[in-house]
Parts: sequence; C-alpha cells; structure tokens
Amino acid sequence: MIENTANKKIISAGDSIIYNLKVLAKEKESVRRKLAVTAAKLARAAKKLAVIAKEKEVVRQKLAITAEKLKKSYETLEQKVQERTKDLEASRAKEEAILLSIGDGLLVMDENGIIIIINNAAEKLLGIKSNDALDKAFSTVIRITNDNGTIILADKHIAITTTPVILDGAVIGTIKIFRDITNEREIDKAKTEFVSLASHQLRTPLSAVNWYAEMLLAGDAGDLNPKQKKYLDEVYRSNQRMVELVNALLDVSSLELGTFVIDPEPTDVRLLAENVIDEQKSEIDIKKMKFSFSHAKNISLMQTDPKLLRMVMQNILSNAIKYTPENGRINLDISLKDEQNIMIKISDSGYGIPKNQQDKIFGKLFRADNVRDKDTDGTGLGLYIVKSIVEKSGGKIWFRSSTEKRTGSTFFVVLPHININK
Amino acid sequence: MKTTKNIAEKRTVLVIEDDKPLLEAINAKLEKSGFGVIAARSVEQAFHGKLAKNSDGEVTIKSIEQALDYLESLEKIDAIWLDHHLIGKEDGLDFVKKFKANGGRWSKIPVFVVSNAASPNTVKSYGEFGVSKYYVKSDHRLDEIVSDIVASL
Repeated sequence: MIENTANKKIISAGDSIIYNLKVLAKEKESVRRKLAVTAAKLARAAKKLAVIAKEKEVVRQKLAITAEKLKKSYETLEQKVQERTKDLEASRAKEEAILLSIGDGLLVMDENGIIIIINNAAEKLLGIKSNDALDKAFSTVIRITNDNGTIILADKHIAITTTPVILDGAVIGTIKIFRDITNEREIDKAKTEFVSLASHQLRTPLSAVNWYAEMLLAGDAGDLNPKQKKYLDEVYRSNQRMVELVNALLDVSSLELGTFVIDPEPTDVRLLAENVIDEQKSEIDIKKMKFSFSHAKNISLMQTDPKLLRMVMQNILSNAIKYTPENGRINLDISLKDEQNIMIKISDSGYGIPKNQQDKIFGKLFRADNVRDKDTDGTGLGLYIVKSIVEKSGGKIWFRSSTEKRTGSTFFVVLPHININK
Repeated sequence: MKTTKNIAEKRTVLVIEDDKPLLEAINAKLEKSGFGVIAARSVEQAFHGKLAKNSDGEVTIKSIEQALDYLESLEKIDAIWLDHHLIGKEDGLDFVKKFKANGGRWSKIPVFVVSNAASPNTVKSYGEFGVSKYYVKSDHRLDEIVSDIVASL
C-alpha cells in the first residue's frame, strides 16, 4: 500500500478502521480457524462417541442375551433340582419302604447306640412300637436278658445278628437283625424227636434179642453145642453194639433237644472213677495194658452230676483203650485244678489223632482216618457227646495228641464243682 | 389154672410189661429162678384182671376193679417188675400212684422199673414215689435184674 502524508489524517483514520477491520478479520479468521478446529474435534469426538455407543449397544445386547440365557438356565436348573429332589425323595421313600418291609427284624443304631431305624418286623418280633423306640438308646428299649441274666428272647426263638456300620473305616453305628427261627427250631425239634422216638422204639426189640440170647447162652433152654454158642455170642455182641449206638443217638438227640438235665448231687468222684475203671478192666486186661490211676488226696465228695461225669470218663477211657495197641499204657488222673474246678486227665500211648484232623475230632459222626483203617468199631459220637456234656456243665475239654510213635493222646477235662468236703 | 394158694407158696413177682415177647422172657427167667409170676400188660390188667393163666403160663388180669380185688385178696406179692409204657392210657407211674395209695404192706413191696423211657424227669417222678430201682431195659441183663430182686427180698 502507498502512503500519502496529505491525506495522512484521513488516511490515518481510514487506516485505523482498516487496521481495526484487518485485526478483526484476522481475529475472525483465527476464531474461524479455531472453530473449525473445534468442529473437527467435535466431529471426531462425536465419531468416537458414536463408536463407543455402538460398542455399548453391542455389549448391552450381549448382556441382554446372557441375562436371558442365565435366566433360562436358572429356570432349567431350578426345574432340574426339583426333579432331582423328587427323584431322591422317591428313591429314599422306596429304600425306606424296602428297609421297613424286610421280613426279618431290623434295628439300626447310631454310634451312640440310639435307635435310628426300626422296621415293621422288628416292632412285631420285639413287641415294641417304633415311636417308643426311635431316638432312644437300644439298651433301654430292648431287654434281651432279664434281671437274672436269663435270655428273654430265647423263649421266642429269635436269632440276633449284630454287625457294625462302617463308613470310611470308622464305625458309625450298628445294625441288628432279628430273625424269627421258630420254624427252623420246630423242624429241628421234630427231627430230633423223631430220632429220640425211633431210638426208644428200637430199644424194645434190642432188649428182646438181648434177653433171649442171654437165656439161650445161659442154657435156660437146654445146652448149646460149641458152634451154636459161638454164633449166639456173635448175635449177643452185635446186639450190644446196636444198643450202644442207640444209646449214643439218644444222648445226642437229648443234648440237641435241650432235654439233657444236669442234676448235681454229692458224688464220690474217686469211687466213681474206680467203678468206671472196673467196668473196663477186662478190656484193659485182654490187651495186656499197663494201667495206672492216680488222684489227689483231697478228691472225694463233690457236688457234680454223677451220671454225666460217668459218661465223660467212660467215653474217654474206652477211647484210650480202643485206640491203643496191645501192651500200651493208659493213665487216669484226677486232680483239683483250683478251688472251683476238678481236672480229669486221661492219657494213652495209642495211635494218636492225625494233626490235620484234630480240629474235627469233636464233630458229630467223625472218626479219624488212622483208626478207621484199624479194626476198631466206633460211632463217631462219643467225643461229640462228651464235649456237649462238658460244655453244658460249664467245663472245658481239650487234648494233646500225636501220631508219632508211642506218643498217643492225652485228654484234659476241667469241670466246675462245689467242694462239699469243707 | 394155678390157684392163689399155689402162687403164694413161693416168692411171687407181679410183672407189668406191655411187650409180649419181653413179658414172656421175663416170665421165663423169673420162673427159671424159682419165682411165681403174675403178669399184666396194662395198669388196668394189673389192678382189675381176672385171674386166668393163659397157654404161656401167664396169669392175666383184665380189669382194674378185678385186679384191685385180686391184689387185695392176694396173700403175697414179693416184688413188682414194672414197665413205664404200658397198653392203655395209664403208665407205670399211674400204677405206682394207685399202688402206693393203698398203703399198708404194699408200700413196702419193692418196685423195679424196667423201661425204655429213661428221661430224667420220669426217673425223678418214680423216685418221688419211693421207687429207686430204675433200669434201662436194653442196658441190663435179665439175670442182673433178677439177682437184684433176689437181693432185695
């Protein structure tokens, strides 16, 4: 621009306006630029916001879907839980129904002996109501023995099986099963009674054979020639064996029927032993055996059942004689084991009992192989009877035996007694 | 038929046993040993029997009244051989009860129970009536019981 001094004032005023305008324009431009920048910024921010909004919307949508899904799965879960609960309840009810309907009496106690389950059969068998039994101690609800220690349930023929309930190696309770064995008992009793009856019936003809043979052998019906006598002897002896067998069967049936009565009375044990020995003396002599009898001095009158003590001694002694070869030795010894018990010891130098059969020797009808091979007869009932008698009398029986040469067997019997010498 | 008088002349045993072969054997052994025998197979017979000796030489008694009359009229019975199981409803124990109930001399006549039944309760019951001679039939010889009877007289 060309500046003119004349016009300086005007120019100067104009210039001032222009200058101001220029400044304004400049400022306007600056503002415009700034605005443009701000607009651009705003546009960018808006764009960003739009992006964010879009993203948010996506997330929101996703969340909504998830929420819906969650709701659905919750509902399903709820339903499943309900179904499962229902199933569990049904199966629990079923299991409970099974437990309660078991034909045998069932009692379940927790670790403190508190009854937690009692089934219908147990209620019936034991004569108690579940309401009176549940949550109570077994011992206060069920009396198995009375004050005298007698087993009450025994009258009812109930067998009881007790087993622990074990969970992860720890006992968490007890199960008791009560089984009504009346039927089994009756069948068993009928069987035993049959044997008893049959054996009694057998005794009559056995007596007839005995007595007629005896009279014939005695010459009551005239003299017999040697052959007749020999044959008749055989008849008589065989019949005696039959009598012994029948007697043994009767003893067994009476032991099993529980009709075996123990009737203690003052008994001279030494005299009784001597009688038993006398009865078998001829057998001992025939086999040329060395026999000795020893007894403690203080053995004399004792409170015991003489009939049973006799059976015990007879059986063991006759076994010793039977199962010891000729020229063997037998010893019978009676001593006081302690204040309450007498000990009978019968030892022999016989065949012995094979090691692998020693656990069976007290079994019914059992005879060891080594004596079955020998020419000896026996029923296999003797020691079974002896053991039953001894145990019913509250005593004990055991033995030591070896089949090694000449070792033989020694039987020990301990019987309780009341010494009445004092 | 043997008369009462004849029987009374020797020692007489009243034998009550239901099994015929056994009764015959006992009868034979006792007679062989010098006893007179009166036999019965039931309590009823023992007490009420008519005195009649059959072909086997037994005196049989048929009814209780007759036997009681018979026993009362009998001058002498020295011993009684008694089985437990007998024909009819009554057993040896019933006989002993009735017999002992008569008291007097009868309560002193020894009774020998010879039976197959040997339950401790039965034996005990006899004992309560004063009968202590108890034999299990198949476990004893005739001569053994007969000599016990002889020893008791």
